[in-house]
Amino acid sequence: MSPPPVSDAALIARVVVSDDRHAFGELVRRHQSAVRATLRKLTSGNTALADDLAQETFLLAYRNLKSFRQEARFSTWLYRIAYNAFLADTRKMKELPLPEDADTLAPGEVAEGRSVARSAAMSIDLERAMAVLSNAERAAIVQCYHNDLTHEEAAGVLGCPIGTVKTHILRAKEKLKARLGAWAPEH
Amino acid sequence: MQTKDLDTANDWLEQALRADGAEHRSNYIGDDGFAGRVMARLPQPATLPAWRRPAIALLWLCVAAAAVLGVPGLFDDAFRGAVALLVGHRIGVVDVIALLVIPSAAAGGMLLYAARVA
Repeated sequence: MSPPPVSDAALIARVVVSDDRHAFGELVRRHQSAVRATLRKLTSGNTALADDLAQETFLLAYRNLKSFRQEARFSTWLYRIAYNAFLADTRKMKELPLPEDADTLAPGEVAEGRSVARSAAMSIDLERAMAVLSNAERAAIVQCYHNDLTHEEAAGVLGCPIGTVKTHILRAKEKLKARLGAWAPEH
Repeated sequence: MQTKDLDTANDWLEQALRADGAEHRSNYIGDDGFAGRVMARLPQPATLPAWRRPAIALLWLCVAAAAVLGVPGLFDDAFRGAVALLVGHRIGVVDVIALLVIPSAAAGGMLLYAARVA
């Protein structure tokens, strides 16, 4: 029988107390997928940039691990660092370029007929539509829907009040509805 | 997500976002050397130079030797005084234990301190 997995808290304690590199490596392996996926969403699918920012996120986490108070989940704390790294990069690069076809998207040209293909096409269109949101709106959607955080947790990650998170989500959904209007069911 | 305050009933966009979120969470990104690249970029561990520990041990030895050589009479007098004191009194078990424990504790304490400083 395999031993029970060591908790994040225990691994963090090992890193903080004795600078255990293996423990930190285990934390990276556990959370790299979620952090990289989140950054891919935030960067509108720029995989290379997302991975660079993910590396930066873990390096910052290592340097600041002593300040992690365990009030939130470790993953939530990582999301916050990742979002700050993304914001810093965005400020450096000014604005990320919008996709060329900024008009209302056609409902998945490849998705006529089958529901699976339709769903995949919807997902692609949603991905493209997400790119037109402001960084704050996209981040609110990613934290609440993709990372499945509560509004309170998302507010903690984004460093803003809960009301602001709700506002970002409402505005984002309005924009997405406008751009994905062709996907709306007919009445 | 807690979205009770949002009007989610029959909201096709809400459903699409939830479906996209569920897909996002279920798609595991393989490590593919990512963790290794992060670990390679960590700052070097703050280790003491290899020569420092023996140098400090040597320093303690020099201090002890200097004390013995510098004030030989003091140690001689102290030893003779201790012997005279012991000879003049009956030695009990407690005295023997104290004689063994106190110097050992002092030596151990000094060694621990030296190790921590090193």
